[in-house]
Amino acid sequence: MARRSSNDNEAIANVLRVLPAKWIIGLLVAVVLYFFLQPRLNQWFGWSLPSLAAMAGNEAPAKNPKLTNNKTGSAASKSPAATKSTAEPKSPSETQPSAVSKSSSTASTANNVGTASKASTASPKQADEDYKYRILKPVGRDRYESPAGLIYAPGSEEGHRLAHIAKHLEDQPERPGSHGVFEGDMASFLVAIDDAYKRARGHAKGTKSRVEDGMTVYEAPFDQTIGYLGGTEGARKRNPKLKKMRLVIRDRNLITAFPIQ
Amino acid sequence: MAKPFLIYVKHCPVCGDGLCRVRVCQDPRRGRLTGCILCDDCETVWTDPSLKQKFTKGKVAATPCCPDCGESLWEQTSHWADIPEVCLLGWYDSVQIVRTEQRDQIV
Repeated sequence: MARRSSNDNEAIANVLRVLPAKWIIGLLVAVVLYFFLQPRLNQWFGWSLPSLAAMAGNEAPAKNPKLTNNKTGSAASKSPAATKSTAEPKSPSETQPSAVSKSSSTASTANNVGTASKASTASPKQADEDYKYRILKPVGRDRYESPAGLIYAPGSEEGHRLAHIAKHLEDQPERPGSHGVFEGDMASFLVAIDDAYKRARGHAKGTKSRVEDGMTVYEAPFDQTIGYLGGTEGARKRNPKLKKMRLVIRDRNLITAFPIQ
Repeated sequence: MAKPFLIYVKHCPVCGDGLCRVRVCQDPRRGRLTGCILCDDCETVWTDPSLKQKFTKGKVAATPCCPDCGESLWEQTSHWADIPEVCLLGWYDSVQIVRTEQRDQIV
């Protein structure tokens, strides 16, 4: 980590003495503007403008996601598991796995992603941001759109649909009745939801859909197991494996999604 | 703090995974307690435990709303009903009650 020496500070002070006051004010305004805009510009355009702290040598410079993607492009395009194992953020279009639309490979792909991400050492909050920006595209304040067009917006008891569907990543053995549990992490869950949605909307073989008072309930089968039956009923039946997913959607807004029998 | 009892009517006939639970809304202007049945997974709202009449209109789009005041059922004025509130609503005979904590944890 670089530290600014006292000689540097003196040099800056000398320069400031020489510059006219209006230049200094303009410079300060530019610095303040840059401070606030830099993270936004990086987020919106995928740039890698360094933060002021990084320029001052107090922080590692931001990595350029595009350059990183190019470096790891071949690996990333092979499977989403590869994309998950790297720590750099990627744009949604680049992370949309090519195998998603193929139902035969989705379940295994999803499970692979889950395995890889479990091994990663990223903090839960970092992982949370990762799946949002790798698979979902921000489309407004706290609203995200999946590659298939599903909207994940604030709502539900948990405050956000993503937090709500996360309840289906873990068993709730005390919960009365059945509780579909997806085996994998949130990233693979989002990929599987998108896959099921696309196939069900396209009336693919084995899928079902029905409309209930403004809500559409889709069901889509998978070739491989995507989860297991939890809750008290699941425990009673020894947690049978599940190969179908049910989605409840209202106006493109995903309400809930979970594996079913 | 989690409530020691989970009160529900039955499994949700719409999504199949959620529980139809009793949600109460306390209208701050009128001080009136309104009860409804809300699926805790797909957020379908019914006006009573018979689950015959759904409530789909409300003041907040894409959010379950109180059949009485029309406000979101996720606002702070609403909460899952406890046993006395279920009794007040006259729905005690329609619900199932499951203890969610160990007996020695219930205060």
